[in-house]
Amino acid sequence: MFLTVRELKKSFGGIHALQGVSFKLDAAEIKCIIGPNGCGKSTLFNILTGVLAPDSGTAHLDGTQISGLPAHRVSRLGIGRKFQVPGVLSDLTVMEHMEIALAARDTDGLLLRTLGWRGGRAAILKQLETAGLTDYAGQIASQLPHGIKQRLEILMLVARGARLLLLDEPTAGMTAAETQATIDLIRRINKETGMAILVIEHDMAFVRNLSCPLIVMMRGQVIREGSYDEVRADPQVRAAYLGDHHA
Amino acid sequence: MSYRLLLTLAIWLVLGLMPLALGSWELAMFGQLLVYGIAAASLAFIWGEVGLVCFGQALFFGTGAYVMALTSKGMIPGIPDSAWLGLVLGIIGGALAAAILGGLLFFGVGLRSAYFGIVTIAAAVIGERLATNWRYIGGFNGLLDVPPLPLPGGTDSADPLMGYLLVLSFAFLSWLLLLALQRAPFGTVLRGIRCDERRMLSLGFSVPVYKLVALAVSGGVAGLAGALFAIQFSFVSPAVIGLALSTEILIWAAVGGKAVLMAAFIGALGVKWVEGALSESIGAYWLLVIGLAFVAVIVIFPHGLLGRLLDTGLPKRLRRP
Repeated sequence: MFLTVRELKKSFGGIHALQGVSFKLDAAEIKCIIGPNGCGKSTLFNILTGVLAPDSGTAHLDGTQISGLPAHRVSRLGIGRKFQVPGVLSDLTVMEHMEIALAARDTDGLLLRTLGWRGGRAAILKQLETAGLTDYAGQIASQLPHGIKQRLEILMLVARGARLLLLDEPTAGMTAAETQATIDLIRRINKETGMAILVIEHDMAFVRNLSCPLIVMMRGQVIREGSYDEVRADPQVRAAYLGDHHA
Repeated sequence: MSYRLLLTLAIWLVLGLMPLALGSWELAMFGQLLVYGIAAASLAFIWGEVGLVCFGQALFFGTGAYVMALTSKGMIPGIPDSAWLGLVLGIIGGALAAAILGGLLFFGVGLRSAYFGIVTIAAAVIGERLATNWRYIGGFNGLLDVPPLPLPGGTDSADPLMGYLLVLSFAFLSWLLLLALQRAPFGTVLRGIRCDERRMLSLGFSVPVYKLVALAVSGGVAGLAGALFAIQFSFVSPAVIGLALSTEILIWAAVGGKAVLMAAFIGALGVKWVEGALSESIGAYWLLVIGLAFVAVIVIFPHGLLGRLLDTGLPKRLRRP
């Protein structure tokens, strides 16, 4: 199994954010984690990316334990995270972004290797061309359109060589058209790079259109796994999360 | 080569030709300004690239100055009294002071932004107190009679022309080193860290190590400036290590341009020169005028007076196709 999460638990003071979460993800598989606010999705992502250490339980990527490692080490093992706030390094140009991603890929972010790394204009331009971002090469990231920022952010993770992509609410604040474009982008990346992708989302239209297996979380636990239709038909899920206005 | 880089190189050329235009006394005075310029450029490196507003720059500067003075006067047991060794140790001392401060701040609790600034203020005050109360290193009076740096050909740095050329060479080398780091991929990573540390961590960069090394490089260059100060003035006192000088360095860099090495360098020269001219013409009011001018510059020119003019831009490999 590519990603194996076993009995993860995490509490903050008296709040039990995760109460024993387990699930699995195959290589090159896309899964979507849904659940209401406060169900523990973000805590789970923070543990999987090394921002938080779990109180107990484990997470393994390809047989290597990742839970409890610091963020930069988790990244070196091949987990890329797209943050919820769509974003990029706002003062830098698109080309600088790509240089950072390629430096991370070639040096693993290690300082001495970065000092010796020469960088490469050709490699940067090739990446941008493949992603269709050449026209934006010299632009400052904060001035890019929303959708382009998103694509740049994901392109950085792809270029950096992630094997598992964690997307934290990738369509937050997007129009319907932008949401659809993001779905196409996620599918394309998955197909072209074979990267496994785990998405956190609570926009049900997005979840339906992405049509991938779902993991439903509720109060720090996984309450159901299955396809969109299976999950939707589950009375417990309907009562707990979807509610009448979603049904 | 961009015209802005040419402009910067032209400034170096003018500085190199100064001995033709100035008499020996003016040249010695002008050489002292260059030392402040090096300190300002060292701050611009971490302020502009990494976004660290450091009030500890004088701590590194002062460490370099004291190490230089103590070594060349033969006051450190087991270390020979060589002025050149003192210069080298001064650089190392400044870098080490910065590395220790950075290590405590970046690894311990991961202090950022304003908190980093506040702790460096405290560190500068502690440094000044320490120097004032430590009798062995001269206490309040400091150390007098720091010998000049012997130079090839039988002269030494006390000679106005040789002293000037020595400081100018080190200023140029410091600028070259800092610029090379800024323009290398390493510099791009530092700018990325300035924008978003969390994101850089999640790309695999060990952010605290990068910040530590950047601060140590900055501290080493500030230490070099301090060591050169010690031989130029042939004395050091607690004033070179304290908060007042730290604040001055910050003002020089802000007025010139905090993100551009040459702008900060010229900022130090300019502010110091104006200070001198004002204190001669209007006496004690000079501080008031400088203060008001500083506020005006910060409000009206966020990039400093020369920040835009002297920005060398991105290296060729990162220019748009």
